[in-house]
Amino acid sequence: MPIDETIRAQALDWAVRTQDPGFEDWETFTSWLEQSPAHGEAYDATCAAAQDGADLLARDTPANDTEPAIASPDEAEGNGAWVDDTLKSYARVPRRRWLAGALAASVALVAGIGLWHENGPATYEVATAAGETRTLRLGGETTVTLGGDTRLAMEQGNARFVRLEQGQALFSVRHDPDAPFEVAVGEERLRDIGTVFDVRHVDGALRVAVSEGEVEVNPEHEKVRVKPGQILSRAAGENRFELAAIAPERVGEWRAGRLTFVDAPLGDVASDLTRATGIAFSVRPEARGRTVSGALQIEPIRKDPQSLGTLLGLGVAREGAGWSLGPR
Amino acid sequence: MSEITPSSGLEAAFLAHRETLLRFLRARGAGEAAEDILHEVWLRVSTRESGPVAAPLAYLHSVANSLMIDRYRSQQKAQAREREWSAAQTLTGEASPQPSAEREVFAVREAARVLAMLDSLGARVARVFRLHRVDGVTQKDVAREVGISLSTVEGDLRKAYRALEEWKRHGEGDEP
Repeated sequence: MPIDETIRAQALDWAVRTQDPGFEDWETFTSWLEQSPAHGEAYDATCAAAQDGADLLARDTPANDTEPAIASPDEAEGNGAWVDDTLKSYARVPRRRWLAGALAASVALVAGIGLWHENGPATYEVATAAGETRTLRLGGETTVTLGGDTRLAMEQGNARFVRLEQGQALFSVRHDPDAPFEVAVGEERLRDIGTVFDVRHVDGALRVAVSEGEVEVNPEHEKVRVKPGQILSRAAGENRFELAAIAPERVGEWRAGRLTFVDAPLGDVASDLTRATGIAFSVRPEARGRTVSGALQIEPIRKDPQSLGTLLGLGVAREGAGWSLGPR
Repeated sequence: MSEITPSSGLEAAFLAHRETLLRFLRARGAGEAAEDILHEVWLRVSTRESGPVAAPLAYLHSVANSLMIDRYRSQQKAQAREREWSAAQTLTGEASPQPSAEREVFAVREAARVLAMLDSLGARVARVFRLHRVDGVTQKDVAREVGISLSTVEGDLRKAYRALEEWKRHGEGDEP
């Protein structure tokens, strides 16, 4: 559709001027907008394009990604190519590392466990605080890594059943056709078919991402199969599942101190960051509908929460004991 | 909201200039949502914890303005998703309605393309754009840092914005 060149040039000029924090002549700008709806449309198109460009650049500058993530030495080689590098390096992530971690953590397991009886088998709970991760060994070669602010409930004497009460956990399951491994999340059931998969259960919303093997969701009902490189999600209070693609190396990457967001609602970003860092992040109301993209290392953000601003193109302000995210 | 006592200059300015802000939001195309958006501006102002603002009315306008830009951007994204979906429905066979894993890699390449495009406008234009829009440096400080006049900074930004607008219009994401 053709756009009037004069309007375009004016819109461009206003976009440049109004986006500077020092701009004060809002009255003249308002009058210009009132002259024609086409003015506002041209202005929006320009501002949105500039912001999209800035967001892409912010994402491309990775940012604080100066240290290689665990088990991916290739990543340190340079910016720009990091995604391709991780794609290659993930295949080489040595499983041993997980197990080594698991051994260490299972010794410390005794702390932080609650024990109670309901109707049925004795259940115990393992929990992590925000900013903490912990790996448990569930017999044999099956491990689960808990992200921050996560609670898992298990039944005594049954290592093949786990309930994810809240938070995020990465499961690496040794498949046993005679004893399928099951994860309960709210009313959902996930059954492994030889698998490494990541489950996120926060504020009623569910996400299941698979990097190896396969997971069957609700084997008694929908029987949705989630395959490697796929992510299944269900929004809070919704019945509909959505299946989308995810780069397999991204599944459980938080385990290696890394988070990637692709068009992620700011609310999810804040909640993931809070759990990962132990620092409270909130979203300012005017940024609620906003989505961001970018790849982050968790540790540098823990040290300097304000660095998020540059990384994701956001304004980061002190709010009580935590930080709030919003437009610049 | 009659019980609210203005506890800061910003809140006082908000209450005093409600109508001005509403007029601005309507001129900005907010239509019936103007009151709701104004309420979001209020929430932002009343929960703000950082120090005083030098020019409260200008600040309030710029908060309202960012809200409108964000709104526009999310509407655009929703439309793009819809288009993608229907395109995927029509193109039977290879096309998949789900974003592929490649798409993520693609976003990074897209970033490289934008960077190259800005660079092609001159290294200074790219630097000015990045300083101002990514690092959040004010135009005055960009001028000082780069050692050019304020109007040159504005000119550089106009060039960059125009190029980005072209890029959006001609379909970002289209493979050449």
